[in-house]
Amino acid sequence: MQKIPLNLVQPGMVLAKPVARPDGMVVAAPGTELTESMLSRFEAMGIGQVVVEGSPVDMEGGGDTAFDKRIERLDHIFRKHESDKWMNQIKRLVKHFFKMKAAQRAAAMAAMAAAKAEAKAKAEAEEEAKKAEAEGRVKNGEEERG
Amino acid sequence: MVEDLRTERKGKLLEVKDLPTLPKVLDEVAKLVEKPDTTMDQVAELISTDQVLTAKVLKMVNSPIYGFPGRISSISHALMLLGFNVLRGIIVSTSVFEVMTENMVGLWEHSLGCALATSTVARQLDLPDPEEYSVAGLLHDIGKVVATVQLPELKKDIEKLVKDKDVYYIEAEKELLGFGHDRINAWLADHWKLPPNIKEGLGYHHKPQLARLYPDMAHAVHLGDFFVRVFEYGSGGDDNVTYLRPETLKHFKLKPADLEQMLDHLSGQFVEIADLSFSS
Repeated sequence: MQKIPLNLVQPGMVLAKPVARPDGMVVAAPGTELTESMLSRFEAMGIGQVVVEGSPVDMEGGGDTAFDKRIERLDHIFRKHESDKWMNQIKRLVKHFFKMKAAQRAAAMAAMAAAKAEAKAKAEAEEEAKKAEAEGRVKNGEEERG
Repeated sequence: MVEDLRTERKGKLLEVKDLPTLPKVLDEVAKLVEKPDTTMDQVAELISTDQVLTAKVLKMVNSPIYGFPGRISSISHALMLLGFNVLRGIIVSTSVFEVMTENMVGLWEHSLGCALATSTVARQLDLPDPEEYSVAGLLHDIGKVVATVQLPELKKDIEKLVKDKDVYYIEAEKELLGFGHDRINAWLADHWKLPPNIKEGLGYHHKPQLARLYPDMAHAVHLGDFFVRVFEYGSGGDDNVTYLRPETLKHFKLKPADLEQMLDHLSGQFVEIADLSFSS
């Protein structure tokens, strides 16, 4: 079971806990297999995160973001409360939050990189096509002249 | 004996001659506000006669902290939207700002961050007049500044104790001074005639469970202080989170999801206030 931000949820993942709107109204039951249209409806309702079965998202990775830095610092800034049960609970909550944000950030970065790569590939392909066309024209011209 | 020493130190702390002076116009405004037939326009006009102050106030009220970024163009507009209590608090903060940035590195950022975090708490909980919560957050550590200005030799000792024994700043204050900045805050609030709700936020942000008159304010500043320390935005004098009182979560009936929502809101906002200051 894993709590993940909505933008990392993929169609096909299965809910482990009910999903509720911010006003408390439950809109999907545990066991539901999520679909694209459900996800967009969740988004419209203002739902930020859901709990799904398994551990489909790698929350540890994320590279060097401000949120990773926050996670790193938590042990230090909570050092006076190591043996305090309540504060450890709070620390876990904060840690989970920062991990989620780091994963979110990493996913956004990856998506951006992918989009960039795609755009680059597309531009290259177009360039290639133009070149081929131009070459073709030159060839045709030569042929005509010849 | 111990009491005598405390009274003496209190006297020293409140010695008017060295205390950051509030702009003269504020006294006149206070008199004006007490008259029943005063209009808002008259108050605005009086404040506007101090141009430097006006510029500083407008800069502050247009920051994202007060919820109307970039949309307040005049003092009368600010008065209408934020009220006199908030403006009064901002004017107090402008007058200690310079000393604050000179004297304690990171404290101004910590104070701004706390203003933002406290108002976020108030807004998420739909508390009335969230701007007043911002001001309480902004001023919550003002006693630290005044203590180090009035008792300059004290500052080094506190910093040394914090470093050597790894204690909270407030613990060091209590050991060396006999009381913490929260107590100084309450005296200052009286001295500067800040409204009682803001006074309670300043005086009880380390022990909100004891606040009797305005517990919302004390708990909100307590939570705001915790948040800004979690993000380590600026520095309150030591690098620790405060002990988050379970009573605060209970008081506001906060669930873990509510805390996450507040953290989420804040994580995007700290960037926006990063270069906010009164210096021009």
